Amino acid sequence: MTHALTLAPAPRSDAAELVRAEVREFLAAEIAEGTFTPHVDTWLSGVDPAFSRKLGDRGWLGMTWPKEYGGHERTAMERYAVTEELLAAGAPVAAHWIADRQSGPALLRYGTEEHRQEILPRIAAGECFFVIGMSEPDSGSDLASIRTRATRDANGDFVVDGAKVWTSNAHHSHYAITLVRTGPPGDGPRGKHQGLTQLLVDLSLPGITINPIRILDGGHHFNEVVFDGVVVPAGMLLGEEGAGWHQVTAELAFERSGPERFLSTFPLLTELARRAAAGQDRAQLAAVGRLSARLLAIRQLSLRIAAALDRGELPDIPAALVKDIGTTFERDVIDEVRRVAEVTPSLSSPDPLGRALAEAQLHAPGYTLRGGTNEILRGIVARGLGLR
Amino acid sequence: MSDDQDLVRQTVREVLTAHPPVSLTAELTWDEGLWAELAAAGLTGVGLPEEAGGSGGEVADAVAVVGELARGAGAVPVGEQLLVAGPAVLAAGLQLPPPDEPLVAAVDGDLTAVPDGDGWLLSGTAVDVPWAGVALHLAVLAQGPDGPVLALVRAPAPAWTHANLAGEPRGSVAFDGLRAPAAPITVAAVADLRARAALLRAVQLAAALEQVLALTLRYAGEREQFGRPLGKFQAIQMYLAEMAGEVTAVTAVVDAAVQALEAGEPLVPAAATAKVRAGAAVEVVAALAHQVHGAIGFTQEHALHHLTRRCWAWRDEAGSELAWSATLGEHLVAGGADGFWPALTRVV
Ligand SMILES: Cc1cc2nc3c(=O)[nH]c(=O)nc-3n(C[C@H](O)[C@H](O)[C@H](O)COP(=O)(O)OP(=O)(O)OC[C@H]3O[C@@H](n4cnc5c(N)ncnc54)[C@H](O)[C@@H]3O)c2cc1C
Repeated sequence: MTHALTLAPAPRSDAAELVRAEVREFLAAEIAEGTFTPHVDTWLSGVDPAFSRKLGDRGWLGMTWPKEYGGHERTAMERYAVTEELLAAGAPVAAHWIADRQSGPALLRYGTEEHRQEILPRIAAGECFFVIGMSEPDSGSDLASIRTRATRDANGDFVVDGAKVWTSNAHHSHYAITLVRTGPPGDGPRGKHQGLTQLLVDLSLPGITINPIRILDGGHHFNEVVFDGVVVPAGMLLGEEGAGWHQVTAELAFERSGPERFLSTFPLLTELARRAAAGQDRAQLAAVGRLSARLLAIRQLSLRIAAALDRGELPDIPAALVKDIGTTFERDVIDEVRRVAEVTPSLSSPDPLGRALAEAQLHAPGYTLRGGTNEILRGIVARGLGLR
Repeated sequence: MSDDQDLVRQTVREVLTAHPPVSLTAELTWDEGLWAELAAAGLTGVGLPEEAGGSGGEVADAVAVVGELARGAGAVPVGEQLLVAGPAVLAAGLQLPPPDEPLVAAVDGDLTAVPDGDGWLLSGTAVDVPWAGVALHLAVLAQGPDGPVLALVRAPAPAWTHANLAGEPRGSVAFDGLRAPAAPITVAAVADLRARAALLRAVQLAAALEQVLALTLRYAGEREQFGRPLGKFQAIQMYLAEMAGEVTAVTAVVDAAVQALEAGEPLVPAAATAKVRAGAAVEVVAALAHQVHGAIGFTQEHALHHLTRRCWAWRDEAGSELAWSATLGEHLVAGGADGFWPALTRVV
C-alpha cells in the first residue's frame, strides 16, 4: 500500500454512539410529527432554517469548536455520527451545511477575533448560513483562473466586481466566502495561484444581485451572484491577502471526505430495502447487500480521514479518493435499483421508491462534479501514487 | 438510408428550427404548436396509408420522422401515433382517426370489453397511458369474452396523471361502460403491439443518444479549462470514445430491429433486444455527457437536459429494461441450452 493513501483505523468512540442514539430519537420524533419528509440529496436541496435552528438548540452545529465561540468542544467522531444520521434520514440540512462544515472551520483558522466572536456563535445556533463563492462561468476545475477582482479604495476597503456561479443556496444565506483576484499572477505554471484572496462578503451588501439558475428537476438551488462595485470593508479580509489559494485548498480537504460524499442517495437505498424486505425477493436482497458492502468500505475510509483530521493531519489525497469512490457509489445506486426492481421514476409518484428514484436520477449529475470533479480528484490520487 | 428518408429528415429538421425544446411543466404538457405544424405538413400521417387518411410512405419514413423528433426533443406524441397506435388500429380493421388529432395506444391496465349491439362497452382503468390528457384518441387494449379486443375511443379526461423524468405526461384513464367501436385481435397481435411500443422507445433512445454524443463532442471542443479545450484532456477523450462505442452499438442493433419490423419478422425478440441495449447505453452515455458538461449541464440553461431526462425516462417505459431483459431471456432459452445459440442468431 502506498504511503500517501495509508491511514490508521478510526478509534471506536462511545461518545459518538451516545450522541448517535440521541439524534435517532430526535429524528424519529420529528418524522412522527411530520416536520419533514425524507428526501434524496437534502444537503443541496433541503433548506429549512427552522430545522437548522433546532439542531443548533441541541448543540449539533459547531460541535467541535471552542465553547467561547458557541461551539461544544466535542470530537470529530461525535460530529461525524450526527451528520451521517441526518443524511441517512434524508433530513433538511442544506441551510446550515456549508457554514457548519467548512466556513466555520475556515473562520476558526483564518478569521479575526472579531469574525469569530460575531459569526461563529450564530452559525452554531443555526442562524447564520454561508455559501461557497468560488466557481465562475469560465473557471470551474481551473479555479485559479477566476476573474472576479477586488481593488482597494481610498479607505483601504475592497471594491469587488465580477460574478460567481453555481452558488448553492445564496438566496437563503448570509455570507459568501468569496475567492477574488487582488493581485497579478506570478510566473510559471503555478504562478496563477498567486494574487488570490478570500473575502468574507455579506450577501446583503449594495451592488450584489442574486439570480436563480434552475437545475434539472426545475428546483432553485443554484444562483449566479453578480458583484457590481461592491464595497467590502477592509476588516472582512479572511486570512492573508494573496494567500487565497492556500486557504481554499485547505478548505477543500474538509469538504471532500465527509458522509455527504456517499450518503446523498441513501434514502433511495432505504426504499429499496423496504421493497426487498416486504417481498423477500432474492435479487433485491442481494442488491441491498452488494450496495451495503460498498457503502461500508467507503464509510470506513471516510471515518479514518475524520480521525486523521482530528489528529491535526491533512489527508488530502485519501480525501480525494473517498470523494471519487463515494460519489460514484451514490450514482451507481440508481441503476442497481432499476436492475432489480420494477419502478417508475416520477417526482409525483405515490410510490416512495419511484419518487426517491426520480429525485436521485435528476440530481445524479451533481454528485461527481461538486467540490472538485472526479477527474480532477483522480489526478490528485495519481499524484499521491507518484505518477505525476 | 434512402433519399426519401433524407428528405423526410430534412423536412422535420426545418420544422424543428422554429420549435426549440420546451421545458414541460404541469401547465405546459406538450408542444402544441410543433404538433400543429407537423400535422399541417402531413408529418403526423407518415407511414400510414393514404387510403386510410394517412400521408403514405414506408415504415422507414415514419422511423425517420420519429428519430428526428427525438433528436430535437420535440414534445409531441408523433411516435406513438405513427409506429404504435396507428398501425394497431389499421391492423384491427378500425377506422383511423384524422392524423392531425393525436392518437396513442393504452396497452396496460385492467380492462374489459363486452359486445353490445353494433358496438362494445369498455370498462376498467388503463394505466401508464402516454400523453394522457394530450391525446384525443386512445386505442385501448381490453379483455373481451373470447380473447383480446382493441377499442378505439375519444379520450376521456384522465383520472390521474404524473410526469415522467422529462415532464412528459403519463396517466390513468378510467372507463365505465363506455360505448366504442372495437375489434377482436389475436394474442400475437397483442404481443406485436407491445413490441412496437418498445421499439418506438428504442428508436427514440438511439436518436437521442446520438444527439447527446454530438452535443458533448461540440462542448468538449468549445469549453476551455487550463488553457485548452476539454477534448484535449486524455480522460475526456476516453469518455467520448466510450460514449461513441455505446452509441454506435445501439444504432446498429436498433437499425436491425427496424429492419425486422419492415420485413415482417418476429418482432418481440428484435424489439426486446433493441430496447434493452438502448436502455443500457443510457447509464453510460448520459452520465458521461453530464460529467463532461460540468455544472452548466446540470441546469436548464443548457439543452442537454432535454435529451438526458428523456433517455432516463424512456428506458423504463413501454416495459422496463428489467422486464424486457427477462422477456428476451425467456424467448432465447425456450428451446433449452441447445436451442439458445440458434435462437440468438434469429433475433436480428
Ligand atoms: C450540485 C453542485 C453544487 C455546486 N455548488 C457550488 C457552490 O456552492 N459554489 C461554487 O463555487 N461552486 C459550486 N459548484 C461548482 C463546482 O465546483 C464545479 O462544477 C466544478 O468545480 C467543475 O467545474 P465546471 O462545472 O466548470 O466543469 P469544468 O471544469 O468545465 O469541467 C468539465 C469537465 O472537464 C473535466 N476536466 C476539466 N479539467 C480537466 C483536466 N485537467 N483533466 C481532465 N479532465 C478535466 C472535468 O473533470 C469535467 O468532467 C457546484 C457544482 C454542482 C454540480
